Amino acid sequence: MKFLNNYSNRELNMWARLSLDILTSVYFISKISPLIINYQFYSNELMRDAIVPIILTTVVIAIIYSIIVFGTINTLTKREEKDERDYIYELKSYKISNNIYQISNYLIIGVIIFNALYQENFGELSPQKIAMILLIIALLSSTGKSLTQLFNYRKSI
Amino acid sequence: MIKQKIKNQIRRLRFDANEMTQAELAEKASVTRQTIIALEAQKYSPSLELAFRIAKVFDVPLEEAFQYN
Repeated sequence: MKFLNNYSNRELNMWARLSLDILTSVYFISKISPLIINYQFYSNELMRDAIVPIILTTVVIAIIYSIIVFGTINTLTKREEKDERDYIYELKSYKISNNIYQISNYLIIGVIIFNALYQENFGELSPQKIAMILLIIALLSSTGKSLTQLFNYRKSI
Repeated sequence: MIKQKIKNQIRRLRFDANEMTQAELAEKASVTRQTIIALEAQKYSPSLELAFRIAKVFDVPLEEAFQYN
C-alpha cells in the first residue's frame, strides 16, 4: 500500500473513476452488443428477461467496486479539498462528455427522422434499442469525462 | 495566435522565505500541493484571486510574484 502515498488522493480517485467507467462500459457493452446486433429488440419480454438483469448486474458491480476501491483510497490517503484547478479540469471534462452525448443524441434523432421521412428502417431502431444505445452512450461519455479529467490533471504536473 | 503566458517567481520566493515547502505554501494559499507544482512548472495560470493570495503569503506585490509576457 506504500505506492498509494506516491499519488495524491485526487489523482487516485480519478484513476479509480476511470477504471470504474471502463469496467462498467466493457461489461455492459459486451453483454448488450450481441442482443442489439442479433435481435430485433421489439419484444418487451426480451427487455424484461435479458436486459434488466444486465443493467442490474452492472449497477451492482459499480456499487461494490465503489465501496471497496473508493473506500480504500479515502481511508489510506488524506482527503483533499478541491481547488480552482480541479474545478477547471472538471468543467473541461464535463464539456467533452456533454459534446459526446449531444452529438450521439443528434445522430440518433437524425436516423429516426431519416427513417420517418423516407419510410426506411435504417438501423432498425425500436424504442428498446434506442434506450440501450442511449445507455451505452452515457457510459462512453462518462468514460470520456474521466479520461479527459485525468489527462488534463496529469498534463499539468 | 500567439499564446500568452503568465510567468511566476514562486520557486524563488519560496526559497527566499526560509525554503518554504510546496505543502506549506499550498496550505497557506488554500490550494493543493499539485496546484503549486503545476504553477512552478509554468503549466497552469492561476486565477486573479489565487495570484493575490500567493503574493500575500510572501508579502510581495503581485507583479513581483507574477509577470505577464
